Amino acid sequence: MPLFGRSQKSPSEVVKALKEALSALERGDKKVEKAQEDVTKNLGVMKSMLFGSSEAEPQNDILVATLSQELYSSNLLLLLIQNLHRIEFESKKDAAQIFNNVLRRQIGTRTPTVEHICSRPEILFTLMHGYEQQEIALNCGTMLRECCRYEALCKIILYSDDFYNFFKYVEVSTFDIASDAFSTFKELLTRHKMLSADFLENNYERVFSHYQGLLNSENYVTRRQSLKLLGELLLDRHNFSVMTRYISNPENLKLMMNMLKEKSKNIQFEAFHVFKVFVANPNKPKPILDILLRNQDKLVEFLSKFHTDRSEDEQFNDEKAYLIKQIKELKPPPQDLKLEATH
Amino acid sequence: MSKEKGSDDITDGQGAYGSGEREDKKKGGLASFTISYDDLDAVVLGVPVREEMKENVSLHENEHESVTLTDGVDSEKCISHLFFLPKGGYPADMMMDFATDDDFHPALPFFQRVDSADIIYEQKKKRCKIIAGRYAMGDLLGEGSYGKVKECLDCETLCRRAVKILKKKKIRRIPNGEQNVQREIRLLKRLSHPNVIGLFDLQYDDTKKKTYMIMEYCVGGLQELIESTEKKKLPVWQAHGYFCQLLRGIEYLHGQGVVHKDIKPGNLLLSTEGVLKISDFGVAELIDPLAPDDTLTMSQGTPAFQPPEIASGQDTFSGFKVDIWACGVTLYNLITGIYPFEGDNIYRLYENIVSREMLMPTDLEPSLQNLLQGMLEKEPSKRFTLYQIQRHDWVKKHFPMTSECVPIPAMNGDTCRSMTVIPYLHNLHFGSDDDEDVEYVTEHDLEVMRGRRKGSGDFGNHSGIHSKSSKEKHKKDKAMIRKRNLSFCKPS
Repeated sequence: MPLFGRSQKSPSEVVKALKEALSALERGDKKVEKAQEDVTKNLGVMKSMLFGSSEAEPQNDILVATLSQELYSSNLLLLLIQNLHRIEFESKKDAAQIFNNVLRRQIGTRTPTVEHICSRPEILFTLMHGYEQQEIALNCGTMLRECCRYEALCKIILYSDDFYNFFKYVEVSTFDIASDAFSTFKELLTRHKMLSADFLENNYERVFSHYQGLLNSENYVTRRQSLKLLGELLLDRHNFSVMTRYISNPENLKLMMNMLKEKSKNIQFEAFHVFKVFVANPNKPKPILDILLRNQDKLVEFLSKFHTDRSEDEQFNDEKAYLIKQIKELKPPPQDLKLEATH
Repeated sequence: MSKEKGSDDITDGQGAYGSGEREDKKKGGLASFTISYDDLDAVVLGVPVREEMKENVSLHENEHESVTLTDGVDSEKCISHLFFLPKGGYPADMMMDFATDDDFHPALPFFQRVDSADIIYEQKKKRCKIIAGRYAMGDLLGEGSYGKVKECLDCETLCRRAVKILKKKKIRRIPNGEQNVQREIRLLKRLSHPNVIGLFDLQYDDTKKKTYMIMEYCVGGLQELIESTEKKKLPVWQAHGYFCQLLRGIEYLHGQGVVHKDIKPGNLLLSTEGVLKISDFGVAELIDPLAPDDTLTMSQGTPAFQPPEIASGQDTFSGFKVDIWACGVTLYNLITGIYPFEGDNIYRLYENIVSREMLMPTDLEPSLQNLLQGMLEKEPSKRFTLYQIQRHDWVKKHFPMTSECVPIPAMNGDTCRSMTVIPYLHNLHFGSDDDEDVEYVTEHDLEVMRGRRKGSGDFGNHSGIHSKSSKEKHKKDKAMIRKRNLSFCKPS
């Protein structure tokens, strides 16, 4: 560590120094540059304690434990994230690495950092709001995705109102931020299957009304990505009840039929994978059946010419043939059944 | 057996040939062919026609000089598979045996014992074979009932791959063989997950009736790993790591509606990075995405890994719970080296699975005992769900690396498992076709080499290696001619 000289500071000293420097930055004193330098220096020291450096091994467990303890008790993690936009470019990356490393800490079955963040969920909310600031968005993204690995943290995020901001973040004009936000969004909804299945079921209306916005987005990438994710979510058995609910709503069917006709071949293809579930459903509700019957001939004709260049893809062709057959065989329900269905 | 005896008599008293003579024999058009043996090819030079033999032989005038060896590069790679067709004909008694056979072939081979000194070996020529103009083949990785698995190099992407070669002839012989292959291909095409083996490409060779499945390259499986250790088990921390990966793979599969139905260490492979890959979807089943539950009716898995509901022969059962049970048996096996239920035969085994209490090794930590108990719960509805397992204390626990990691066993003495396609590529671009500079190794040389290899022990302290060389030794003791290659003589 030639740059920082003697690194024999104790964890509590480093934490204290970093905290002071961050507070100075926050206050916006005249000595901003000096404070920034201090932050950089102390983050460097902390990083080498956790990761080791070219000359030294990572510090022993006791030192790391003390460091983490100091981080929790001083509430430095929150302070660090709140001031992330104020620190130097390279140090932002150091901060994210330190955060992720401490987060992964585990003692037996316990994950103390996760417990700490659970008791201070502001950390998570601050991270999510990071997507609103261009200079820290990607750093916050890596930290958020690390948090997603833990069910408890994922749950806090999903069940917070701030989660719905993601529907905005995935559409921001800066492409790399929008994609980063989308990958975090996807991670949140797919990482912990049971959690997200419960979440989607309990918040069905709110989530899917927002989701509709993504599917109707002006932005091609958003439309395509969200449609693909929708297909994945619906066809995951964990979300079985969400799927049955989704495919019984005629509005959703109309949307998918419109997407089948989109200009983009890729969107058509993704839409096909959602559309097929509506048709394959053995218990189609009357409104769905009505729409399909009304368009029976047109659909058969359309599907016969649909993506005929995909001759290599056996699965797709099998499914397409199956759908055509299903639609051809559709019959209006007999009168008595109709009564039962409306009942 | 009597034929073998007869041929013994014939070769009796024949001495060894000098190497110069061998060269002559070869040129003289006597039977010669090669069989691979270990990393060498055996060149067997013609057996001279002897006077006493001619007397025994019927007077068939056709001269059969070339020998066709049906399974020239059989995996057995054993020199005991030598067949000879003597120049001149066959003994009369053999003729009689086969004369009435419909399948009678004029080039019927005559079996003759070959003195080991008559066998010489040459370095196996690594002739590069490229399939579909894209995949350069390497060495054999393994062999199953469906065919061989070889290493290969994707010449377009330069990625290291494994290719599963499926022979139609072989598949037909297996019950449900063709159906299982189709099922595996169909499933693998739609699956994509880090813990599930990837299928990249499919190629068909219609003339050879072979299907090539280009898959992710794996260095071995958990079964090999266990077998390479003395106590047939892994350290707890290592087993924990694999188990967590298995859970992630199973979670994905079940999410896709796929019930694997044959989870066991033998079907859990490892990539070069040590990532676990669930493989072998031959008996897996896809649940209709719209089916309300996971009820299944058929199982073809491995008996020792079957749950009580299948062992007792129930008509329908929950598919996902079958995989949970098998995961439980797998974890039990990885950690203890034994199976929770055993039996001399399948009936006993099933009886024990259904009614016997599981023996829980007392030296396991309580949370692990609890987990195994939950996964190996006989009543499917009370058995842990995947979600319960994932949240279980033992699964969530962090296990530091407290003991040496059991490494992936070496293959052909190579602990690094370096790419075996390279010698073939080298031969393709720099090799020469003429055989003149080929060096021959005699049986005696081989013996010496083998002794040296064993003596020095520089091939690692791997028990795997030792057992392998002892196996070779064992093979050598067997009769030089084995009956099993006579399959082509059987009436079809």
